[in-house]
Amino acid sequence: MSALLAMANLTGGYGDADILQDVSLEVAGDEIVVIVGPNGAGKSTAMKSVFGLLTIRGGRIEFDGDDITGWAPNRIVQRGICYVPQVDNIFREMSIHENLEMGGFLKKGDLSAAYDRIYTLFPDLKERRKVLAGALSGGQRQMVAMGRALMLDPKLLLLDEPTAGLSPKYMEQIFQICRDVRDTGVAILLVEQHAKQALAFADRGYVLAAGRNRHEGSGAGLLADREVAEMFLGG
Amino acid sequence: MEFLGLVNYALFTAIFIGIYALLALGLNIQWGFAGLFNAGIAGFFAVGAYTSAILSTPPDDGRIGGFDLHFVLGWIGAMLAAALVAWPIGKICLRFRSDYLAIASIGVAEIIRLVIKSEAALTNGARGISGISRPMGDIGYMESQIAYLVIVLAVLIAAYVLVERQFNAPWGRMMRAIRDNEGAAEAMGKDVEFRRLEAFIFGAALMGLGGALFAHFNRSITPEAIDPMVATFLVWIMLILGGSGNNRGAILGAAVVWIIWSVSEIATDRLPPEYAIQAKYIRLFLIGLMLQLVLRFRPEGLLPEPLRGDRGEDRRTSKSGADRE
Amino acid sequence: MDLELFELLNFYVIPGIVLGSIYALGAVGITLIFAILRYAHLAHGDLATLGAFVALACVTGFGISPLAALPIAILVTAAVAVGIDKVFYEHLRERPKIVTVMASLGIALMLRSVVQVVWGVDTQTYARGIVRPEDYFGLRIRDRELYTVAAMILLVGGLQLFLTRSKWGKAMRAMSDNPNLALLSGIDNKKVVILTWIIAGGLCAASGFFLGLNTELKSLMGWNMLLPMFAAAILGGVGRVEGAVLGGLIVGIAEELSVLWIPSEYKAAMAFAILLFMLLVRPTGLLKGKVL
Repeated sequence: MSALLAMANLTGGYGDADILQDVSLEVAGDEIVVIVGPNGAGKSTAMKSVFGLLTIRGGRIEFDGDDITGWAPNRIVQRGICYVPQVDNIFREMSIHENLEMGGFLKKGDLSAAYDRIYTLFPDLKERRKVLAGALSGGQRQMVAMGRALMLDPKLLLLDEPTAGLSPKYMEQIFQICRDVRDTGVAILLVEQHAKQALAFADRGYVLAAGRNRHEGSGAGLLADREVAEMFLGG
Repeated sequence: MEFLGLVNYALFTAIFIGIYALLALGLNIQWGFAGLFNAGIAGFFAVGAYTSAILSTPPDDGRIGGFDLHFVLGWIGAMLAAALVAWPIGKICLRFRSDYLAIASIGVAEIIRLVIKSEAALTNGARGISGISRPMGDIGYMESQIAYLVIVLAVLIAAYVLVERQFNAPWGRMMRAIRDNEGAAEAMGKDVEFRRLEAFIFGAALMGLGGALFAHFNRSITPEAIDPMVATFLVWIMLILGGSGNNRGAILGAAVVWIIWSVSEIATDRLPPEYAIQAKYIRLFLIGLMLQLVLRFRPEGLLPEPLRGDRGEDRRTSKSGADRE
Repeated sequence: MDLELFELLNFYVIPGIVLGSIYALGAVGITLIFAILRYAHLAHGDLATLGAFVALACVTGFGISPLAALPIAILVTAAVAVGIDKVFYEHLRERPKIVTVMASLGIALMLRSVVQVVWGVDTQTYARGIVRPEDYFGLRIRDRELYTVAAMILLVGGLQLFLTRSKWGKAMRAMSDNPNLALLSGIDNKKVVILTWIIAGGLCAASGFFLGLNTELKSLMGWNMLLPMFAAAILGGVGRVEGAVLGGLIVGIAEELSVLWIPSEYKAAMAFAILLFMLLVRPTGLLKGKVL
């Protein structure tokens, strides 16, 4: 079965320096894949490369049959990948509903089906849809951020540290939402700092260190792996 | 044009180049070194001109002043006055983004202009102050111009040497460090706000001196003597074209732009009178256009900022990855 | 006591509201450009001058009434604004913003020169003759003053509707709010910029037009409004359209009232004083805008 997303031997960075060296990973159409690793491992960078935010100097990225290496973010959004940045991921001065509306900006025609989908996933948001996003709590803001990204009904959702700064209760909620999203047929690739919890709920995982692949496997498998545990105890 | 006339014109032009070069040097300290956008140059110029006039002319009915001091004291007073005006403005506006400083400086120049026009007791209002003595003014026409040119050049060279020394000294390096990466400089413990204020005040003092030099050359100063926005703009394009961050560039830019400005005036003077008035505004339009072209095609200017172990490009006007202040 | 109140209203407050409406029209454009393009547009005043004179050209050239010339002036100025951005500002977008501010100072000079070359430096008016104010229960208001305030309310009201109800209006707000995220959401930055200039240019034309209608047309008319427009925008809170209107009205009324205690030559200093005061005390403005 060919993967939905396949990154092969990717090398690249932001300016002149290469952060990623020969990184490969795959995401199938119905799984949650998490990238973990110590600080500075290049986890976020790897994910951003999928969304066209990196200067790529080697390797390729394939998505749903297309070679998307070097595509601009705009084009990638239209192709079916949506991205939730770690910070500054909502329009603070706009209401929840307006945030969603902006998420669906590229969609031609009626957005009501899209709104329904999002509000079904996040019933909390529906009640408060006229509230300004900036006035919400951290967990709710994260939901708005994800909702915005899901408006275009992407095939793949990229999440950059979605649980950063959240309490354990919200963390669990976000992970549950990820499972719900996956169950609607959206693949998820996420970067996580809370490696243990992330590996527990993800289907598969990749461990990066210093911009390179180090380990990969199922979530449970990686959790049980001694070497992986050592890396995190040390870093 | 007969030969003598030509020589006199050349002297006249050289003197103006000298005065504008001084203004451009002052702007270079503010913008070139410290990254401060001062759009109120004419205001400091006027403060200097009037201060020197008030200090060095004999008593006159209806206005204060008339201390009849030696012109050198007048010029020093001019610098002090300009510095004193710059200080509160700097204290209030420098901590904000350059945009806000630009607007505030436009406002300052406007207020100064209003004060000059309205406070007859201080400045004689629209009539202005005349009878300002020109040093060596009593000898023959051309000789007097030559003498004044020598004085202007002496002042300019002194200013240049001073500023250039500061530029190469630790002070200059620190200014540029602050300009280019304020956060890092602050982290290193440099008192950013104070340094910027310093630069702003020094630059203003030079502009005031330029004003004084002008007033004594002209032997009078009126509110209409210079068109404030034209003068301010001319100095800006002189610095940008010459090369901001470069003292020689400031002087070169003054020469180039002033010559273009004067020559274009001669050229348009030959047009029939109906076009004469429009001609001035066509020239202004072209100067404005020249700035756009320089900013687009040669933002570092004719003489780019000299390398001092950093990359040679003009960091404030050329492409930058990060969105910089 | 009654007489004094009406004197205050008729000679100071009403002219202040009219002037304030004129400032508001300009200030809204300035605040939009601050919010979306993130720099101070120093050519804004002279863009208003252009608008006023284009209307004059229509009045003298086609013989139409000034009010009929207004829509034409708005369209032309909007087009000129977009054109200026395309030709002069677009290339500077990768550079630090202050460079564009510098360029805009040059554009201001160029716009002013064009007006001076084409229309000369003499003072002009849309219509000759003294206009007597009508009496409305003791308030003396001229028709043109009513038009000015009405136009401001209509234009800014229309803009607010656009910003809150239409997709592209919201896109503008999104770009002002979080430009990166707007890009990630697929909002076309270029189109938003063009839209911004159309709106700013059009409002500028109205501002200049009504200034000319209520006073007279001079080549420096717009430049003289620059400081009050900026004071108004900063007073209201950068990025806040309602703030720009509020700021404009306050600056206008303050300016007119100021002659009661400072010499009238210093009227123009009022705006500057307000600007400095706000920067010192509350740079986010009354309605909590951005601090750039």
